[in-house]
Amino acid sequence: MVDLLQLVFAGLSQGAVYALVAIGFVAIFTVSGVINLAQGEFAALGGLVAISAVGSGLPLLAAVVVAVATVAVVAVLMERLTIAPVKRMTTLVSLILTLGVSTGLKALMLLVYGPDAEGLTPINPGGFTVGGVSIRYQELWILAVAAVVSAAVYWFYERTLAGKALRACAEQPVAARLVGISLGRASLTAFLIAGCVGAIAGVMASPIYFTSWESGLTLGLKGFVAATLGGLVSVRGAVLGGLLLGVLENLTAGYVSTGLRDAVAFLLLIVVLVARPSGVFGRSAEARV
Amino acid sequence: MARRALRLPGPSARRSRRGDVIGISVLAVLLAVFPFVAPGSLTNVGVYALIYSLAALGLSLLMGLAGQVSLGHAGFFAIGAYTQAVLVTEYEVGGLLASVAAVAVTMAVALAVGLPLLRLRGHYLALATLGFGIIVTVLAAESTFLGATSGIFGIPKPEFNGRVYNSTTEYFLLLVPVVLLALLLARNVVESRIGRALGAVNDSEVAAETLGVDTFRLRLQVFVLSAAYASVAGTAFAHWLGVVNPNAANFPLSVSFLLMAVLGGLGTVYGAVIGAFAVEGLDDGLRRLIPELVPGAVGEVQLIGFGILLTTIMIFLPGGLYQLWTTARRRLSGSDLEDGGAPLPAEGAALPPDEGPLLAREGRPAAGTPLLEVSGLTKRFGGVTAVDDLDLTVHAGEIVALIGPNGAGKTTAFNMISGAVAPTAGTVTMAGTRVEGRKPHVFARAGATRTFQNLQIFGSSTVLGNVMVGRHLRSRTGLIGAALVVPARREERAVEASARELLDLLGLGADADRLAVDLPFGRQRLVEIARALALQPDLLLLDEPMAGLSGAERRDLARLLRRLRAGGMAIVLVEHDVEAVLALADRVAVLEDGVRIALGTPEQVRHDPAVVAAYLGVEPEDSAAVAVAETGPGELP
Repeated sequence: MVDLLQLVFAGLSQGAVYALVAIGFVAIFTVSGVINLAQGEFAALGGLVAISAVGSGLPLLAAVVVAVATVAVVAVLMERLTIAPVKRMTTLVSLILTLGVSTGLKALMLLVYGPDAEGLTPINPGGFTVGGVSIRYQELWILAVAAVVSAAVYWFYERTLAGKALRACAEQPVAARLVGISLGRASLTAFLIAGCVGAIAGVMASPIYFTSWESGLTLGLKGFVAATLGGLVSVRGAVLGGLLLGVLENLTAGYVSTGLRDAVAFLLLIVVLVARPSGVFGRSAEARV
Repeated sequence: MARRALRLPGPSARRSRRGDVIGISVLAVLLAVFPFVAPGSLTNVGVYALIYSLAALGLSLLMGLAGQVSLGHAGFFAIGAYTQAVLVTEYEVGGLLASVAAVAVTMAVALAVGLPLLRLRGHYLALATLGFGIIVTVLAAESTFLGATSGIFGIPKPEFNGRVYNSTTEYFLLLVPVVLLALLLARNVVESRIGRALGAVNDSEVAAETLGVDTFRLRLQVFVLSAAYASVAGTAFAHWLGVVNPNAANFPLSVSFLLMAVLGGLGTVYGAVIGAFAVEGLDDGLRRLIPELVPGAVGEVQLIGFGILLTTIMIFLPGGLYQLWTTARRRLSGSDLEDGGAPLPAEGAALPPDEGPLLAREGRPAAGTPLLEVSGLTKRFGGVTAVDDLDLTVHAGEIVALIGPNGAGKTTAFNMISGAVAPTAGTVTMAGTRVEGRKPHVFARAGATRTFQNLQIFGSSTVLGNVMVGRHLRSRTGLIGAALVVPARREERAVEASARELLDLLGLGADADRLAVDLPFGRQRLVEIARALALQPDLLLLDEPMAGLSGAERRDLARLLRRLRAGGMAIVLVEHDVEAVLALADRVAVLEDGVRIALGTPEQVRHDPAVVAAYLGVEPEDSAAVAVAETGPGELP
């Protein structure tokens, strides 16, 4: 029982990281129909920038701010330089384009930060034990930050005019344009959100899970699976999907085999897509044409 | 439709055949000379380029033909390599036999992965294959049977007739015929009935399906074929390196396959080979150069070049090096015409002034037997009922018109009948087959097809190419037959001949070799009808065929439809031109707000009070009709 609780808790905190990455996928996909394969690299870059900023003597909080700002700039540049110039964005083109950006970012991180994985200093080191379940302070921080960030993104989409405008672009691009919403601006905003959320995910995850130039690959894939579990168009679904994936992975690693941990995401993706393409938590909606 | 691949070039078959003979010969000579003129280290790069070009070829087929991306092709490559390694080292199976087994195993895995995923939109396949590649790496690294992280050693160099191919030059020359053969087979698939159908799918999925193309099945076949190519590369890789480890499934390798295909140009098979040499050369160069520029740089630093190249190509040169080549050639020859130098349009080339029956077909149901039975057909979109409990029976050899004001649900009814949209309730039976809620190609197989209100022309193809897609169900060649070309050639000629015949019949013969999108609007409609007729359907659904046509064109079309009816075809048309319809149809069904308010002969319908109210705004007892009469019929073409 303690084992189970331990695994579930660890899964939740890891899942919260996936959830943040997933929100990035959802933000961009809903507005532009693009699956941003560089989403995982946003997280890795956030982690690495924060680590090197701390290494150069900045206080942790300042390092985090620098990291988020850097990734936000990268995300915005990516949108302006690679997404905006393409007139006819097909699935094929968008995948290859974002793969190109993702590959370039990976290599850049390798060149700048070297091949080794490192961990950011935790906010509070150490942890405590409750009823046999050991909890690290950083895990609580991850959960808290993920809750605040996802609530903020949710609030943005549901309550603010700019957020509603973004949703309008996603649901009715033509009508949105008719009422004066600029699709270009919307796409830029979406990338900005994705960059910030991705960087936060990377920064929060780094103290426990470590960050290297290639950690964006699996993180991105798992974020995508989490987003798919939520139907790819819902922030709430993405969060639930992330938590579910994190828990399932940890249960598999604990009860079946550590090596199969990474297989869970893939199997889950296939099972969900076959059984319920609109996502476990998504409403079944007509395909966007 | 949302899913569109990059355009495939659509040159006329004969020209391209001559061009391909020249192209492959030139490539053969270049490759044969390469190891003798290149320095030794470059020949080694060349060996890898040849090996990887096989995988890139497969990926190029997948992207160019099926419009799908795999981000885990190295996974298939690794399965091929591992199977080969295990069979050769553990079970001492001969190299050739082992590679056949390796390819078969990989194809089975690809089938299992593709089966669930190709039903969905493209990005799911991309991400799932990315995950697949990671899984293959993980499983290989975990499996002691596969040597865990150190892999399988001691795979011998291939040996045929006592001759061991162990030098760089020898191995290169051994691979050249394999690559050329693979290239030839791929080229044949692209030019075949399958390639044509998939090219059509990339232009308009719904139109291709309506002509009987089973998109899912063809995509799956191409996916499996593309995995097979990757596994052939894997077997060649295993023998050359002598060791296979989990790195064979590495993501950067998948990225480099993708870059090879994209750099060379999708939709041309040569691109993959040229791209492979370019990328391998770049890889080698960057691995040397970057550590000199950035001291201490280690690992996969060449990826920076890959990333930049992938992005810039997609933005500035989406057709890859091949696009550069065709543009250059066009500049040099000083002509900006598309392939073939198409003749000018034969304006107003009228139909032959003949009134005899057209396209009669053996084995067609006798006139008057029920062909299409629609019962209780209903479609609700949220709270709106677009079509409400529609019943309609169409008999062989009659023309039925479906009329009604805008928004009456005519096109929705068509979409449900033809399988493009699933109904909320009700059944559609075509020639004894239940077709509702299934794909349009099922409807086509049952002997029926349709045209579209908003034209769905295959834009990247010629008029002839459009009509040849219509012959899809009337020809047989599958993927294997297409690859082996010889059995397919005769059928191709027959398909082309019958398509040309049909075009002549509709007065489109002079436009046959022009790009279909270059035709004026009215003639594009005619192309769509010709394309549908190429299927030799028993039932033809026409969605507003008269819209946008001139008076003369309308009269020609009406005559054509009468002649088709005389040939035994049943026709259902949705039309706004009420007078034209009443003059043409045997029976008329009137829809209003999704409800069938009248059904009968033109004479009966003309005097039906509800219809008169719906169209003319006369005060009747029927309150529903009053509402419409007040807002007006709102006729827009």
